[in-house]
Amino acid sequence: MGSNVSGKAYALTILSPIKNAYVAGVACADTVRDQLENWNLLQNSPMARVPQTYLARLFVLDDVFTQSLPGAGALDTVSDFLPAVPDGIRRAALPTPDHLKSKYLVFSIDFHGELEPYLRGMWQAIAPEIQSVWQHCYGFDAVSDAEDFVAYMKKCQLTAALFFVGSNDDPLGEQLKALYLKQEFSRFALESQGLPTAELKKRYQEFIARVKPTDLTGPAWTPGQYALLKHSDARQEAAL
Amino acid sequence: MTKLQTASLDLFDIQGDIVRPYGRFGFPFARYVFFNIREGTRGRAFLTAILAKVTSAATWGIGPDPIPKPLATTNLAFTYQGLKNLELPRATLAGFPEEFAMGMKARKDILGDDGPSSPEYWDPIWRKSRDKNRDLDVHVLVSINGQSMAALEERYQWLLEAVAASDGGVVQLSGHRGHDGAENLPYQEGHALLEDGQLCTKEHFGYTDGIGDPYFAGLADASERVRGRGKQMDDGTWAPLATGEFLLGHIDEAHEYPAAPVPFLLSRNGTFMVYRKLHENVASFDGFLERESRNFSGSKALLKAKFVGRWADNGAPLTTAPDDKSKAEWDARFAQASDVEKDRMLSDFTYDDDMSGAKCPFSSHMRRINPRASLEFTQGDKPGAMVRSRGAFDTPGALVNRRRIIRRGMPYGEAKDRTSDRGNHGIVIMMLNADIGRQFEFVQQQWINYGNDFKASNDKEILLGNHDKEYPSRAVLPADPDGERAPYFLRNIPRLVETRGGDYFFIPSMTALRLIAKGLVDPT
Repeated sequence: MGSNVSGKAYALTILSPIKNAYVAGVACADTVRDQLENWNLLQNSPMARVPQTYLARLFVLDDVFTQSLPGAGALDTVSDFLPAVPDGIRRAALPTPDHLKSKYLVFSIDFHGELEPYLRGMWQAIAPEIQSVWQHCYGFDAVSDAEDFVAYMKKCQLTAALFFVGSNDDPLGEQLKALYLKQEFSRFALESQGLPTAELKKRYQEFIARVKPTDLTGPAWTPGQYALLKHSDARQEAAL
Repeated sequence: MTKLQTASLDLFDIQGDIVRPYGRFGFPFARYVFFNIREGTRGRAFLTAILAKVTSAATWGIGPDPIPKPLATTNLAFTYQGLKNLELPRATLAGFPEEFAMGMKARKDILGDDGPSSPEYWDPIWRKSRDKNRDLDVHVLVSINGQSMAALEERYQWLLEAVAASDGGVVQLSGHRGHDGAENLPYQEGHALLEDGQLCTKEHFGYTDGIGDPYFAGLADASERVRGRGKQMDDGTWAPLATGEFLLGHIDEAHEYPAAPVPFLLSRNGTFMVYRKLHENVASFDGFLERESRNFSGSKALLKAKFVGRWADNGAPLTTAPDDKSKAEWDARFAQASDVEKDRMLSDFTYDDDMSGAKCPFSSHMRRINPRASLEFTQGDKPGAMVRSRGAFDTPGALVNRRRIIRRGMPYGEAKDRTSDRGNHGIVIMMLNADIGRQFEFVQQQWINYGNDFKASNDKEILLGNHDKEYPSRAVLPADPDGERAPYFLRNIPRLVETRGGDYFFIPSMTALRLIAKGLVDPT
């Protein structure tokens, strides 16, 4: 289990085999891909609603890539020096390229905490979206609640060792608060540059009261936030 | 027959503007003239007619049969559409890089040409090029530089005769903005500015321009010019950059030939050029400098120097003249120095003793355009301290050596009313590199309009950044981490420079020009 965990961060890689079938003339793999593409048209990914998610990536894996004609090992090397080996024998000794047995839905995420609570949280947050995508995968028909989902996902799990470098292993809420504070503090530093000490103190106290550094339920970035607020929008927000 | 002077570069085959900044060689007047090629055969005949006066990079005035220094120079460059209309073979055209084929307008999102810099506000010639009417596409740039206005005018008239002789095969494109609302001038002018009645090397904000040009293998005077212009090595020495960073058909810093079309003869000794007309908002600049200087603890001249990394009056680098006192000492030494020493004082420096940016800020123009070895750095122990991370890269400047750019250009217009941003004045900048995507576009996107590589979050370069009121720009002027002073923050930086047009060009070698003119480009 250890290799999926780095501190309190967890790297989960799921490969769910997609049914080799079609519905109403469209292949299941194509439907899955189409549904995932639709997520790109939304204001934000459904995964932004899943608690403690650092980063999520979903895609359809059609097959493995063949990079080149594989070498045949020792015989091939020997035959280079012994042109007497007939071409037919040489070719027959070459391995054939590998293929996957089915297409897969690849689901790769980094999150804070432990696997089972995370997957339960995911089910609670976005069960309809999960069902609409995963229903095209083998074995998912039997999934009807959070515990089924946890069991199903664990069956599809691969060992993962690579982690998202843009994040540490703190809870998501703390990271979002920290990013918010960093941005607000630099704004505060800019706006209060050169003020006399007494005024600076007063402004700083106001600043702390406004940003509530230790209160995770107070102002912070929201999960999935990917753009800075426009100056005019930020002003409006501050006025509200 | 005269024996060629020994030189590593084929100077007779390379167009002169690649090797020489004409402005600094006594040609203070420039005219950029653009053409549309309507018909291939007559277009090539036009090229043949003007080829005789195209200026190569050959050295002037030495040896037994010296090449005379001309009174006016002429150089040629082509857009992708221009090469297509000159009927280069499809297989050759397909070998040109994608960004060159797309052109500058289509790359606006990468370049940050938004808001007042967006193509809809460009000069009419650039608005209409690559738009609906193919007859208005810019195909050819003929740039003329003159030692005098008379010489420039004479060469221009000669050019117009060649156009007339093309019998409609080549059409001059007008649509350059000028003073007093002029919208349809027949060419873009450029000229060195006057200071106290003397020609100078300054631009409209008052900075001395065009000091730092890269030095690459094959250029002359290595021992005098390589320090500060080549690439910084681990042991403190400097080496010339690979020729292939600036000329096609030569090995580059990755020990490869840069991507280029076939045949080899078409691309070898040629390069790519980015032509940009940049308007300078002088009132915004003066106002911003005035406003910030009220709170800044040093002199106004020092603050002005902090924007670019050099003092405005003579280009003294902040790394060696970081404050008013050291600047006075630097000036005294500069006044006594020989020309070679002067050049060295301006160029030969590193950021090794300024890793935290206390002297030359991370967001200053010079540090962003050419960070030298300063990107091999990491956070130090004290707040605000950055330290050299020795050995992190293959060579200290490895990230930078692949992003260097030759800059050519001239100021244009006059800033008649400094209380207004309006009017027609700025710089025509021409940036030369072997790979527009890897060099110019990368620098523009990542180093000018973004600050992450400098650990400066999304702070933009102070002068050229596409500052936007909706996302107010700031820049940090760091303080010495060992000192008592606080860093200074520049706030609400206005858009100081706006794009007014331009495109991506290919500058062929003299050989390639002859091949194109004869219709003999053969990719097979």
